[in-house]
Amino acid sequence: MCGLLGKSANGTANAMLATKRTISLRQRFVTRVSVVKNSVPVVCLFLCLIFPALSHASRDIPADPFESVMWKLMVERHFPGGEVVFDSRVKVSAPKSAENQFHVPITVDATELSDVEEIVAVADLNPIAHILTVRPKKSLSFVGFRVKLQQATPIHVGVRTSDGVWHMGGAYIDAAGGGCTAPAMAHGMNNWMKTLGKTRASTRRESPLSARMTIRMRHPMDTGLAAGIPAFFMNQITVQDAAGETVAELDLYEPVSENPTITIKPKVGQVEETLSVLARDTEGNEFGFPLTVPAVAAQ
Amino acid sequence: MKPDASPCCDSVDSTKHERRAFLKSSAQVLSAGCAYCAMAPLHAKLLDYKLAASEIAKGTWAVHGAQEYFNLDNGGNIVNVAFIEVPDGVVVIDTGPSKRYGEALLALIQRTIPNKPVLRVYNTHHHPDHCFGNQVFDSSLIAAPQGVIDNLRLEGDGFAENLYRLVGDWMRGTSLSVPTVALDTSYENVGGRRFSLFYLSGHTSADFVVRDDETGVLFTGDLAFMFRTPTTPHADIATWQASINALSGTDKDLIFPGHGPQDRKGDSLTQTSDYLAWLDGTLRHSVEQGLTMNEAMVLPIPDRFNSLSVLRTEYERSVVHLYPNLEDTLLPEIELTR
Repeated sequence: MCGLLGKSANGTANAMLATKRTISLRQRFVTRVSVVKNSVPVVCLFLCLIFPALSHASRDIPADPFESVMWKLMVERHFPGGEVVFDSRVKVSAPKSAENQFHVPITVDATELSDVEEIVAVADLNPIAHILTVRPKKSLSFVGFRVKLQQATPIHVGVRTSDGVWHMGGAYIDAAGGGCTAPAMAHGMNNWMKTLGKTRASTRRESPLSARMTIRMRHPMDTGLAAGIPAFFMNQITVQDAAGETVAELDLYEPVSENPTITIKPKVGQVEETLSVLARDTEGNEFGFPLTVPAVAAQ
Repeated sequence: MKPDASPCCDSVDSTKHERRAFLKSSAQVLSAGCAYCAMAPLHAKLLDYKLAASEIAKGTWAVHGAQEYFNLDNGGNIVNVAFIEVPDGVVVIDTGPSKRYGEALLALIQRTIPNKPVLRVYNTHHHPDHCFGNQVFDSSLIAAPQGVIDNLRLEGDGFAENLYRLVGDWMRGTSLSVPTVALDTSYENVGGRRFSLFYLSGHTSADFVVRDDETGVLFTGDLAFMFRTPTTPHADIATWQASINALSGTDKDLIFPGHGPQDRKGDSLTQTSDYLAWLDGTLRHSVEQGLTMNEAMVLPIPDRFNSLSVLRTEYERSVVHLYPNLEDTLLPEIELTR
């Protein structure tokens, strides 16, 4: 419960492991650890008194319509803070059964909610549950993506509004499994590095005030769970308008499918507008490109 | 199982206690076992494909499966299989989804055409509903083009695993038996009958079509579907359409499609071609519009396809199969500026 306790235990472990440190350094460290140890109960008591909201027991977690065994853990880990409510305005489209466990399409439409700050999607029974987080900023609360599934699993999508409430939706997807532990298709080609980040994309105007942007980028999206292949995935996509204002931010995690294919709906004016996309992966590679939304009359 | 009690190490009390616990748990296991034994024969009796053959041309017998997707009730019997009496024996076209099916098929052949040996087994393509009954036949008789053999070697085990998941106990004991005869000739004489052999593709990368030159029955495998939505997990639609064109121009008296009733007028080819054209056009348009797969999956399907079974499910599966390649050709390439 109390984070400080864990910290001091870690510190001790680290000190024991670091055999090459000088004696004096170690002595100083051990002294510090014991000081921390002595003050632990006092600090814990203090924290618990002033932050009753931190205690998980105080949050009412509704029953999960998808009956996930991981539901409470998912809420604690990925939907912290505010109230959690299942809300039919969070529409999650997914197939009942995964035809291909490496590319399971999911579309989230929460455009009926206003003041959305972030959209968080998890696959409860995946070895790595967190799929992605989207901060729509200057976009409609809509995102399409594809995910790798390790086994049949409930999907939960939490949409947090500015009042801190998590509006939940979800789906249950049957799957043959193995999607997260098999090597990416890219590793079957000897030149996959050459096409890393190669991008196809389309932008269309959907209404006088919004566009639809679909981007598909070459990337193996290695989970680190396939034998001998370390984690290597695109973990960040940012879309900005011409004024440098953020239109949307996406944090991607290991379960996002190889060659990430993402659809979002930026809010735009009626004139032609050029948005810039910047994607980064876990090795620090950056891939940037402009995409132009035509003016209202042009389409 | 508890090892022999060794008095030197255990105290008397704990040994007694453990033995009691062991006896108690064995009793539970035994009673559960008995309940299972009582149920098992009943269950085994239920798993019967109840195959029946109907004569669709002289000496040509059709075994029709359900017009459904794999499920626990149909045991994967969703496919058309045929056998033909030739002067010296029997020729079999496809073998069904499981060992249990293969056994039922072999029994049916022996009942229908007694005292004649199976001389040849053809596999039309590598999909599991068509060739997982292979193992009950002498493997030296099973023939297919090299492409079918290669595909089976590559994907057969994965198919088997997935079928165990989809249809369960029906698959018991099923393992893959790959054809040992690689065909590449334009015809073959089997037991006094000439069969024309056609090497096509489109439904998969290797689709094999056989014509009995005596009866004029054309066994198309899954290049033709009748009143059943075509499936696309390995499809290349343009090639498939070309193969359908070729088959339309081939001499024949009757088409025996991979799924659905036999067809005298060529409707199976027309239906399959019409659906594939609509599917291709719809998905191309969807990709160009930037629709997500999920949005494409709920698009309306024209009424004229209502006579095709498993329509919405197969359409949804096809979106997943075909979308990525269409995206890789139709979405505009973007030059990176960074």
